[in-house]
Amino acid sequence: MSQRKTIDARGAFCPGPLMELIAALKLVEIGDEIEVLSTDKEQDGQWSIVVRKAK
Amino acid sequence: MSSPPLFLVLVSGEHEKIQMAGMMASVAAVSERPVQVFVSMNAIYAFRKDADPDTRYQGGEFSKLMKEKNAPDAVTLFEQGKMLGEMKIHPCSMAMDITGWSEADLVEDLFDEPLGLTKFLADAETGQLVVL
Repeated sequence: MSQRKTIDARGAFCPGPLMELIAALKLVEIGDEIEVLSTDKEQDGQWSIVVRKAK
Repeated sequence: MSSPPLFLVLVSGEHEKIQMAGMMASVAAVSERPVQVFVSMNAIYAFRKDADPDTRYQGGEFSKLMKEKNAPDAVTLFEQGKMLGEMKIHPCSMAMDITGWSEADLVEDLFDEPLGLTKFLADAETGQLVVL
């Protein structure tokens, strides 16, 4: 059963959000999803992306 | 297609330059681009074992801001790059000779073996070299 995990990297400076995502990806199972939240000035103060571990 | 490896030569002890090097090394390493770092001259002092994170770098205006706003520590960025990607970091053997340091004087669990410039340059023929 695939799972989704959320990483709240809002407020972290470069390359914090990327590092947190990659670190989390190493730990989850193939097929699992990770959502990363990051601070963004354009869109309501935050931006997010969901990635799925493929291999 | 795999990217050509990134070779970073760290010379300056300036916080801003070491920070950028740490950002480049960690981002490249986690983006599946192999990284090799060569640390020499004043840059070696930033990697002294047990150095206080507040004083280990020489910095200017931007350095003050980064400390104020708690930007990630540069040495931590190198550690993350090494942990999460393919990265090697070598102290320059000439810098080790001049300072009289041994590997025990450097930040723990970060460094690979000391390397001479000749070997580093020969390895760097296969990739892109950046000096900071």
